[in-house]
Amino acid sequence: MKLSVRWISLRLRLMLVFALVALAAAVSASGIAYWLNRDAVLTRTQNAALDDFRKSLQDNTGSLPLMPTCPELQEAADRMAATSQKYEVLLIGKVKGGDCEAPSNRDLFTLKVVPQTLVTAVNRERKVDESNPYPYHLYWQRITLGGKPYLVGGAKVIGGGPTGYLLKSLENERADLNSLAWSLGIATGLALIGSALLAQAAASTVLRPVQRLGDAARRLGEGKLDTRLEVSGTDELADLSRTFNKTAESLQRRVEDLSAREASSRRFVADMSHELRTPLTAITAVTEVLEDEADSLDPMIAPAVQLVVSETRRLNDLVENLMEVTRFDAGTARLVLDDVDVADQVTACIDARAWLDAVELDAERGIMVRLDPRRLDVILANLIGNALKHGGSPVRVSVRTEDDSLRIDVRDHGPGIPEDVLPHVFDRFYKASASRPRSEGSGLGLSIALENAHIHGGEITAANSPEGGAVFTLVLPNAEPPTEAEEASGPADGEDRSDSGSAEGGTQ
Amino acid sequence: MATVPFLLLIEDDDAIRTALEFSLSRQGHRVVTAATGEDGLKLLREQRPDLIVLDVMLPGIDGFEVCRRIRRTDQLPIILLTARNDDIDVVVGLESGADDYVVKPVQGRVLDARIRAVLRRGERESSDSASFGSLVIDRSAMTVTKNGQDLQLTPTELRLLLELSRRPGQALSRQQLLRLVWEHDYLGDSRLVDACVQRLRAKVEDVPSSPTLIRTVRGVGYRLDAPQ
Repeated sequence: MKLSVRWISLRLRLMLVFALVALAAAVSASGIAYWLNRDAVLTRTQNAALDDFRKSLQDNTGSLPLMPTCPELQEAADRMAATSQKYEVLLIGKVKGGDCEAPSNRDLFTLKVVPQTLVTAVNRERKVDESNPYPYHLYWQRITLGGKPYLVGGAKVIGGGPTGYLLKSLENERADLNSLAWSLGIATGLALIGSALLAQAAASTVLRPVQRLGDAARRLGEGKLDTRLEVSGTDELADLSRTFNKTAESLQRRVEDLSAREASSRRFVADMSHELRTPLTAITAVTEVLEDEADSLDPMIAPAVQLVVSETRRLNDLVENLMEVTRFDAGTARLVLDDVDVADQVTACIDARAWLDAVELDAERGIMVRLDPRRLDVILANLIGNALKHGGSPVRVSVRTEDDSLRIDVRDHGPGIPEDVLPHVFDRFYKASASRPRSEGSGLGLSIALENAHIHGGEITAANSPEGGAVFTLVLPNAEPPTEAEEASGPADGEDRSDSGSAEGGTQ
Repeated sequence: MATVPFLLLIEDDDAIRTALEFSLSRQGHRVVTAATGEDGLKLLREQRPDLIVLDVMLPGIDGFEVCRRIRRTDQLPIILLTARNDDIDVVVGLESGADDYVVKPVQGRVLDARIRAVLRRGERESSDSASFGSLVIDRSAMTVTKNGQDLQLTPTELRLLLELSRRPGQALSRQQLLRLVWEHDYLGDSRLVDACVQRLRAKVEDVPSSPTLIRTVRGVGYRLDAPQ
């Protein structure tokens, strides 16, 4: 889950960056375009209106008398306003009997509309010199009236003529510019969407190989060492894929090499212990004869014969244990299941080894469990033997059933197991102390016991009892056999024990 | 069987053959030996031993094949001598008709005990007879007839049938049967019982795959029923 969130965030990051780049580019491009356009449009409109106004002012006021009447001014203003440029005109001049305001549109354009600053600028007289041939100049300003944009311009006719103002609506220009802004906005939006799609595509082209790499790495981690990537192209990702393939290849080679070596060393141990058996069989058969005759032998020779006999037996045990271990390692160990009374098995195991005096058994008869009796015996013999050897008697063995499992505790009354040894008690050939005499068993006993528990799907744990002494606990799963329950009918009978899961042969 | 048991030992390894021959002779058996399966089969026809101790790994035809060939004509007891107690070997050995098996390296005493136990199975114990449907077990003649025809049973199969027939309708566990028939200790291999039951069923049942006489009692073992 965390992984996918991270993927999304990388995708998001890419899209965000793309979108930001696109936005910046689009906004700056449309901004510049808008401002240039706006400037050009307004300047053109403005210049046309102002030029026309200037010309018309000269033409119309030039024809006026020096001291025109107000209606004359009005007439001139109306004439001026009637040009194609469609602006309103306001003429202010000195007439007989004072000043006269003559607007072409009295409702819209009066002197009140004209900003004071413009009026001041228009009426300011400048000194005439080389660089400034005229005392009065044409001034303009953009204003807003009732929410609409207008151009206001004003000029004084040189030589005591009237002052003329024009009011030109920029409504059309504004509409044009607005539609331009809209188109630019839409273009920006489209650019953003395009960039998002591009980012998605880019993310996919980058992330898909990355995801494939991730999947491949995961498969490799899961042990599928033959995982390889398809390499296409020459980009960095292809490079990475190639490196991955090389790594996987060398890893696979290495693992194969190691497992081949391990297999061959296991095979060697298996073959060796196998080979050892042949001479051992012959030796075992004759040492027995020697043993029988030991009493009648020369007392000088008898100890030597006894030694040969006992060491042959030890060699037998060791080879047997080695064989057992190699079977577990090779995975050829099989369960031979049977329904047994656990208490009987434990008693028989103790009895067969003459441990009855040293072991307290706490087990009820009648606990029927389906297991491999030989393997249970190996486990018990190793656990109890170990307890007797290191803990000393009495060893207490208790058998319990818990839910769906069988639990056997083997507790001794010794000093317990040192904490640093506890994790290693089941290791092969692990010796608690270097000074421990070598003759105490093969060093495989507890490891074999554990393997035997595992093959049953069970477990053995070692711990120290709070009351002192070590406790080994064997837990085996117990799928309760239907004891005493007879099989229903004949036909089912024919299936025999094929459901037992053991390595029984079933040719019927 | 009051006489000295006469054994045929088939084993290819010289040292083992010599040592086992020596050991078994000291236990009071008369032993002839063969180094190959072919020689063994020849000796079997010529000398008629009471029992065969047979190594599994033989040059030429192997122990399993020797066992199968013997079973085609003879019901004499066979004890397999296996160097591998790999489970599949045991299963194949038992399926090919062996009565018991021992794993190398084997102590002479153990092998002797097994041999004597197998030989005892053919001994007569009582003199009555019992019938289960068409099956008649004559304990005095130690014969079993089905529909009046003699069945060729090995001593182990016969003993198993006798033990089951002694407690008709009562289920016997594999461990019990191992003690009664094979005289094994508590660690007997239950597959011996299963394999022997399969072989016995093949001989006494009308339809061996749906037995009516020797029934499996799940979670316990086997039981001999008189068919209703």
